[in-house]
Amino acid sequence: MADHQYGARRRSVVKGALAAGVSAPALWTLLSACGTKTSSSATVKIPSPTTPVTWPMSKVNEAIAAGQKPKAGTTLRIYNYADYLSPRVLKDFEEKYGVNIRLSTFNDADEALTKVASKQLKFDLYFPSYDSLGKLIGADLLRPLTHDYLTNYDNLWSSFRDPWYDRGARYTVPYTIYSTGIGWRTDMVPDDIAGMDNPYDVFWDTTYAGKMAILDDWHTAMSMVLLRNGIHDINSTKQSDLDLIRTQLLDLRKTMHPKVTISMYTDMPAGQYGLCQMWSGDAINTPYYLPKSVSPSVMRYWFPPDGKGEVDNDLVVLLAQGENPVAAHFFINEILDNSVAAKNFGFTGYQPPLNKFTPSTLVSDGYLPQNLATAVVEEKDFKVGFPLLQLPPASDAAWHQVWQEFKAGG
Amino acid sequence: MARADGRRQPPGSRLIWPLLAIPGTVWLALLFVAPLYVVVAILFGGTDPILREPVPVWNPLDWDFTQFTYVWDHIVGSQPFFRPALVRTVLYVTIATLLCLLIAYPVAYFTARFAGRWRGPLLAALIAPFWISYMMRMLAWVNLLQTDGLVNRTLSAGGLLDVHVNWLQGHATTVVLGLAYGYVPYMILPLYAGLDRAPTAMLEAARDLGASRWETFRRVTWPLSQTAVVVSLLVTALPMLGDYFTNDLLSGSPSTSMIGNLINNSVLTPGQTGQAGAFVLIILVVSVIPMVLYVRSTRSGADVMS
Repeated sequence: MADHQYGARRRSVVKGALAAGVSAPALWTLLSACGTKTSSSATVKIPSPTTPVTWPMSKVNEAIAAGQKPKAGTTLRIYNYADYLSPRVLKDFEEKYGVNIRLSTFNDADEALTKVASKQLKFDLYFPSYDSLGKLIGADLLRPLTHDYLTNYDNLWSSFRDPWYDRGARYTVPYTIYSTGIGWRTDMVPDDIAGMDNPYDVFWDTTYAGKMAILDDWHTAMSMVLLRNGIHDINSTKQSDLDLIRTQLLDLRKTMHPKVTISMYTDMPAGQYGLCQMWSGDAINTPYYLPKSVSPSVMRYWFPPDGKGEVDNDLVVLLAQGENPVAAHFFINEILDNSVAAKNFGFTGYQPPLNKFTPSTLVSDGYLPQNLATAVVEEKDFKVGFPLLQLPPASDAAWHQVWQEFKAGG
Repeated sequence: MARADGRRQPPGSRLIWPLLAIPGTVWLALLFVAPLYVVVAILFGGTDPILREPVPVWNPLDWDFTQFTYVWDHIVGSQPFFRPALVRTVLYVTIATLLCLLIAYPVAYFTARFAGRWRGPLLAALIAPFWISYMMRMLAWVNLLQTDGLVNRTLSAGGLLDVHVNWLQGHATTVVLGLAYGYVPYMILPLYAGLDRAPTAMLEAARDLGASRWETFRRVTWPLSQTAVVVSLLVTALPMLGDYFTNDLLSGSPSTSMIGNLINNSVLTPGQTGQAGAFVLIILVVSVIPMVLYVRSTRSGADVMS
């Protein structure tokens, strides 16, 4: 009887509260406000060096008019990887134009795309790779550039002024170039990795189990397995290639217990591990993070000497959700300036594809030590190297599923 | 109006209790029911064809169970690659929670019973970790546990021994110790509150009747503190179940992935966000069971008391 009374009282409480305003329709309205949205078009073009793409001008997001100036006191919102823009460059820009910069960071492209797609964060500038360009344009997330603002555009290498992934540079400006290879410390890894028949095998060498890391970037990490096996189509859609990746990646996890991260540039100098898959820009940056007791000469970076490895460039794009497109244009132009780009390179370690930075003189100019000369990316590398491309939706899902299995640790 | 016991209720009293319940009900609806429905709508919703972002479906009649089935199949099916992370989570959380209890109970017991005039400063010291963010405390451990960090240097006795333990390279021990370290303050406070309220007259009576210190603890203090122990276990274990940050910072290896990591990875991976909803529901079910048991036990305890 007591239980019955208790239950009845609870029901009357809820009824009373609902009657007071928290009604089902109100709740329904609240939930509906969360929004249901889909991309405007279900077809996506996939650019590649052999099939360049000229993107149509957006009908939804118009390019801004030329001749405007950034408004002082406004905020420029930038979305980028951590430590991928020099704080000095940001501060100088703020002082020069009176604009406040708010920098938000992401860990990987998937995370970034998820947040950019929400359109809620009002980012003005975003630094993606070209493998997500088709999605960004297909979903009408970008605003076309107004080139009148980009007076420094000709500072770029000529081959980057009209790139295959965006003919006419309607939406993108190249930001940095990099290769993906192997980084190691000679004081922690006695083997001469560069001299091995197949240097990628070192990631499966149990001597280094529990002392190595691979990049927390699904496509980069998985394509390394293909390169290890001499398969140069690192954007393969073949099931047999994906099966090979799955088998060897799961084997790597079980036998090597790798750390999966993108903070190699700080972890390896700190001595957390001595061997890792690495981006060349991070390799160039490692000497600055080494303890004073360790000589920068211990750092090494390997990239296939014949150039048949992964070579990419990152971009800067203007997001349509941003509220300060004029300042965003000025910022893009600023980082194409030779002296600003030099400052930025000095901080990030990632080369800008600008004429001023001659790859052959980067070592003699003091940008990096001789032992890391292999991390320099040259214009010719893009002729023989392999870029990571956007995958067709079904393959993209299949690759992600394998990566999910790898990261689940099952 | 007459009540069952014959006494009259004051006019308007029927409305008082429902009115008092409004803030709590609104709170529950806005911060629990509505978000949970969003999670379910995403779990059983669709995916954008281009960005592969989740598209919530609000009408239950249109729900698609593919994502849930996928997760379920990979927990109990022939390729159960999610299962180890779930087992690992239960194992890590159980060990870390018990470790917390081992550390927290004596501390709370001492503070409540023997600290005397030091009780205030001790309590302040116990609350002090809350003033520093969880992330900062974990980052401090990253520095200490690095190969050339203070822990290895101490273990190597100033260089006499060759100690190169890679604490941060996928060690379950590091993750469990990190969890215990991070959550132990959450256990100390409710335990202290429970032990502080234990009636000293009963303890003194036990001693007067000839019980030893150990017998007094075993037959009086421990039974009196059991409710506080259960509460502190729940307060500590439930947030641990969804923790992903400790593993990310102190291990970063898939070999120590927990269910929180599966949720985080799924949320941030286009096309897999709905699966995160399935994991959230699993955590919810696992969390609700001990909560229900706790509520039932406290209700039956209250019935006995009355």
